[in-house]
Parts: sequence; structure tokens; C-alpha cells
Amino acid sequence: MCLNNQKQWGVTNLRLAFPKQDKMLFKDLNFRYEKGEKILMLGPSGCGKSTLLQVLSGLIPSSITYPMRAENQSIPKSCGFIFQDPDTQFCMPYIDEEIAFVLENRKIQRDEMPRLIQYYLDQVGLQLQNTHQLIRKLSGGMKQRLAIASILALEPEVLFLDEPTALLDPEGTEKLWQTVRQIGKERTLVIVEHKIDHVLDFIDRVVLFNEKGEIFADGPKKETLERFQDKLDEYGIWHPGIWATYEKQQTSVQLVSEKPILILDHFKVMRQKKIKFQTERMTIYRGDWVAVIGENGAGKSTLIEGIMQLLKTKGKINWSFTHSEAHTQFVFQNPEYQFVTDSVRDELGFSLKLNKINDEEIKRRVDEALSRFALIDQQHQHPFQLSIGQKRRLSVASALISHPDVLILDEPTFGQDARNTFALLDLFQQLRQNGTTLIMVTHEMEIVRRFATRIITIKDGRVIENDATSGMRVKSSGDHLDQNEQIIF
Amino acid sequence: METTWIRTNKLFFKINPSLKFVMISSLFLVYLFVHNLNTMIWASLFFLILYSSVTGLSGKWSFGFVLFTLVVSLFSASAMILFGKGSHVLYHQYLIMITQESLARGILLGLRTFTFSLVGMLFATTTLPVPFFYSLMQQLKVPVRFAYGCLAAFRMIPMMAEELTHIRQAMIVRGMTKQKGIKAYYARLNHYLLTMLAQSIRRAQRTAIAMEAKRFSMKESRTFYYQIGWSRNDLVFVLIIVCTVAMSFLCANSFPLTPFTNVLDH
Repeated sequence: MCLNNQKQWGVTNLRLAFPKQDKMLFKDLNFRYEKGEKILMLGPSGCGKSTLLQVLSGLIPSSITYPMRAENQSIPKSCGFIFQDPDTQFCMPYIDEEIAFVLENRKIQRDEMPRLIQYYLDQVGLQLQNTHQLIRKLSGGMKQRLAIASILALEPEVLFLDEPTALLDPEGTEKLWQTVRQIGKERTLVIVEHKIDHVLDFIDRVVLFNEKGEIFADGPKKETLERFQDKLDEYGIWHPGIWATYEKQQTSVQLVSEKPILILDHFKVMRQKKIKFQTERMTIYRGDWVAVIGENGAGKSTLIEGIMQLLKTKGKINWSFTHSEAHTQFVFQNPEYQFVTDSVRDELGFSLKLNKINDEEIKRRVDEALSRFALIDQQHQHPFQLSIGQKRRLSVASALISHPDVLILDEPTFGQDARNTFALLDLFQQLRQNGTTLIMVTHEMEIVRRFATRIITIKDGRVIENDATSGMRVKSSGDHLDQNEQIIF
Repeated sequence: METTWIRTNKLFFKINPSLKFVMISSLFLVYLFVHNLNTMIWASLFFLILYSSVTGLSGKWSFGFVLFTLVVSLFSASAMILFGKGSHVLYHQYLIMITQESLARGILLGLRTFTFSLVGMLFATTTLPVPFFYSLMQQLKVPVRFAYGCLAAFRMIPMMAEELTHIRQAMIVRGMTKQKGIKAYYARLNHYLLTMLAQSIRRAQRTAIAMEAKRFSMKESRTFYYQIGWSRNDLVFVLIIVCTVAMSFLCANSFPLTPFTNVLDH
């Protein structure tokens, strides 16, 4: 099976299917690459890029047993694989132990280890006073760089990266790609990624997939990307010019009324008995689109969780309604946690049922939401079986079904592709026009610049800026809502 | 176990974990066959002293734990005390009958529970998981896959704790906590378990693949980052434990506090 001529690897006539599925993911797929190449794979979600990466690295079929057949599968003698999720790549509690785990696998002598651990950490730019630190105290970006360090300890010729920045914030993303660029100089890189801004600088070959799992373009970076620019938009890939294609911006400021909807007075939020956010006074007006921004761990989520009374608070929260729970809805960053039923349909109807709304009305509203959020085909599925985009839509839909006046969202566009993001933004825009107040934690500065009517910047648990913006406001028609106001996903 | 709330500089941390594990397990066996109430009384007292002097937990936690074990021990004793058989009746009303014999048996049972938890905690609060599993691999030849599997599992505990908070918050937001009655309680419990299980299985699978991608092999030999060896402390530890056990037996002989030298008789 292995044909190792040291310089060239790949698969010929690969056939692969997921268990219990009739349709084949790959049918006679060919892919070859050479030593020293830096390759980027692009395609719509679910097209099989990640699966191909696992085949190329040999994880399929040795660790993941999918039914597959290939005339030739040649795997590099030493390769490393970086996964998406920063939390599940480690098996040891401490940083040094994790890298030592790899060194132990390679049977490196014990007295060599401390020096090597330091060496690999330096390679990825993790400067630490003490290498014996808990991994879970690191930020997501640092965890991913540690993952790279531990993979480098394998001394791999080829590095496979499967959307390593999907769960990182912009800062972590940038640093990670800087690191990859550094360490990738003498190595072969095969990368699957949706956010390609920082990747484009150092790759030289681009491979494009279509929905059917076929490679339809494969060539040098510049020509391929220029020729298939429209495909990138279609697949929702975050490329440098994508915001320019989304010409929509906030339509008007007048919608923000003078009436406060929420006043926080000497407000403090506690986490584990420590004050993690405090403000003397904060006012949010009806119709505002509030963007809460700040670095990781600054206290953004703490603020909105405090407003929702999910954490212990001190001081006053004055809503302009008497029963605030009936008027506010919250959308979590990870939609999976908030799913409480076994089907998409029940999920939508859940809060209505709690409020003793009659069955006919529930059915009407649920049907409306299903069609509006393009979830009709999935209505009997378990929420956990949905795709990332569908999960996000369901979580927003189930929050909106009770027609709240205030919608609070924790990074709703996080991990979403460009298409889903734009569709969500169109929806929020429309909600706001109908008078809904939005409070949203986000890292995406384009959203802030284009839509926010108020920007609250948080640092070290305090508000350092709170500005009402006027921004540039250009009206144009929505591409992502059709004439029936259904979102086009 | 966390280094943040455990003081790791204590003597018992420096003992070979495998030795500690074997010694502690044999203590369970020894006290399982003690039927002398006096021995049990002295043993609980000595182990309480030992535990409080060597534990890695801070005073507050330590006290809380001892209190908790006492309550549990009382429960396990009460069943035997209240409904036991015996000829010297002390109190009898309806179903409840307390006799001298049942009282003695009950107390012995309670003290045994108490001693067992103390001994268990003695081990748990002075042993860090990583050196423990390294020692198991090196001294007791436990297969590598079990040891690293357990270590990977330890990493999941804080993640699961965090997850629990998220699920609880989500249930508040979705209004699930407002429902009342047994059915709603069942639904909530079900939801906790199902979500945690689904996420844990997924996480475990991913971790396993990541470990294999790092060329973790279950069969081949490997080198070790930590070499767990022996020291003079191990001898001190064995002496301390043997002395504690011996003292409990000696004191029971020399200063019997009760006449019940074998609670199974009478």
C-alpha cells in the first residue's frame, strides 16, 4: 500500500463512504503532492476536504475506520495533524507533559526531554517562565500553538492542518498563522481552512472542491483564485475581499428612540465570588444595536450573562418592562447547550408551550419559523445532527419565536462561514428595523463598523468606551432575503 | 486534583504512589476483619490524627470533609443500631428496637465506614494523578493504554464541570427550570445526562484520534518523562502506617473502652 519515494505522496482512485450512507463521498478521487509544497484546500462545508486530509495523513483507515479503497495510498513517513478543537488534542494536564508524551512515543531519552520541550515551545513562540503550567488555563490560541509544538516534536516532514483557527478569535488566528508560516518554511503544508486572509501569503497551490466531493480546480494560487473568485463567495469562504461583496450597511440611525430600555445602576457581576465586571451606569435605548467588544477574558460574556441574571449580580437592572423574562431572549455561543428537546420542531415550540399558548398558534408559528430559517427538511431531526450553520439558525429561531423585544447574543457569527454570517446579519438588520433591540458580543470588527449603533468596549471588567455611532449608512437591497422575506442560505 | 488548592510539599506526596496504593488497599482488608469494637475506636482516632497531620487539603476543606464522613457514618450505623437483634433491650417502641448488642455492632460499622473514608482520603488528597499513573506503569506494570487513558479522562473532568454550568444556564434561559413536578425534574435530569454523555463521547473519540496521530502506540515500549523511584520517605511511610495499625491493636488490648471485644458474639 505504501509507495514511499520520499518526494511524492497522495492517493489514486480513492473511494470512500461514511458508514450507513448509501452515497459515496469520494468516487475515484486522485490527489498527489510533492515535498515542500504549501497547499490550501477550499470547498463548501461537507464536501470532504477534512476527510481527504485524514486519508492523506493515514488516520483513515488506521485510526478511523471508514469503508474505503484506494489503488494507491502513499503516506509520508512522518507527518503531523493539527485538529480544529483546541481542547481535545491533549491527553496530559500540563504543557511540558504534553510535549513529553510525544517524546516518550518517539522513545527519546529522559535527560534529553527538558531541553527539547523548551526548544519546541520556542519554535511556536510560546515564551513561558515555567513550562509546568496547566493547559486548560491557556487561551484557545495558545492551546493551538501548543498543539503545533507537540506535533513538531514528532519532527514531521508534512503538516496537515484541519481548520485550526475555526474556534479562535481574530488575534489568536493571526498569531497561529504567523507561527505556521515560520515553522512551515522547510516543511510541506496541507491546509484546510475557511478563513483564508492570513493563509494566502505563504501558500502556493490551491485545490478547490465542489459539493459532490470532486476536485474541480487545482493549480497555482494566483490564477486559481482569480479564475474562481465567484466560487469562493458561493461557498462562503472568508477571503479578503468578501466584505466588499456584502454591500449592506446600517440603514438609519433614527430608529434608535430616546426611551431607555435598560438602565444598569452601580451594576456588578460576580463569577466565583469575584467581581468580574462593574459599571457605574449604563443605558441602552430601544432599537439600539449594541456591539460589546474587547479582548478575550475582558468581561464581555460576563456582562451579558449578568444582564440575563445567569450570574450573581449586585446593583440595579432596570428594564422598561415589568416582566423582563417575557421580553428578552438569549442566544448562547455554543448552540448545542441550549437545545433541550429531541427534534427541531419541538425545539421551536418549546418556549411557546411553556407559556401555555394554544396548539394551533404554536403550529402556525413553528411552521413559519421552519420556512423562514430554511429548516423544513430537518424538522424531525435531532438538533445535534444538524450542521454548524443549521444549529446556529435553530438557536436564533427558537429565541425569536416568542417575539422578544430584546435579543442578547454571545458571538452569534462565531465559527460560521461567510454565507451564514451574512444571512444572519440580514436577519438582525430586519429585526432591528421592526424595533427589536440587539445586544451582541462580537469579535468581528466589520460587523461593528457596519451595523452597531452603540459600541461598548470592555477592558479588565470595566467599560472603557461607550459611544453611540453614526457610522456610514448606505441603504441597499438585501441579497440574502428573498421577496418572501425568507433567508437564502 | 488541583495544585491550586492542594499543598503538594507534604511528606506523603513524596512517597512512591504504587507503594502508597498497595499499603492503603491492604488497610481496607485489615479493618474489614476487625470485629473488636475497641480496636475500631482506637483505629478511627489514630487515623483521624494521621489524616489531619498529613493531608494536602487546607484546614477548611479538611474539616468539611471529616464532618461529611461523620454524617455518612452515622447513617450507616443507624440502620444497624435501630433495627438490630439482641437480648439486652435498651429501648423498644413500635419497629424500633435498640439493644446493647446492636448498638455495639452499629457503632463498629459506623466507625469502619469512617476509617475507610479517612484512609481513602489519605490517599486521594496526597496523590497527584500524573505521578500515580507513571508509577503504576513503572512499578506495577500496568498497561500503557490504561494509564494514559485514565490520564486523558482526568483532563475531561474540568471540562465537564464547565459544561455543567453552561447547560444549567441554558436551561434557565429556555425556561426549563420554571417547570415543576416530577416529570419536569426527570426531563431536566435526562437533559443533563444526555447532553453531557453526547459531548463526552465525542470528546473522547477526538482525543483518542489525536493521541494516535501523535504516534501513541499501545504495544511498543516507551521512555518516561518522569522516573518514579524509591526514597527513604517510603520507609518512613511504611513505619508510620504499621505503627498506626499496631497502636490501634495494642491500645485496644491495654485500654479497652468497652466490653465488646467481638461484636459478632453475644
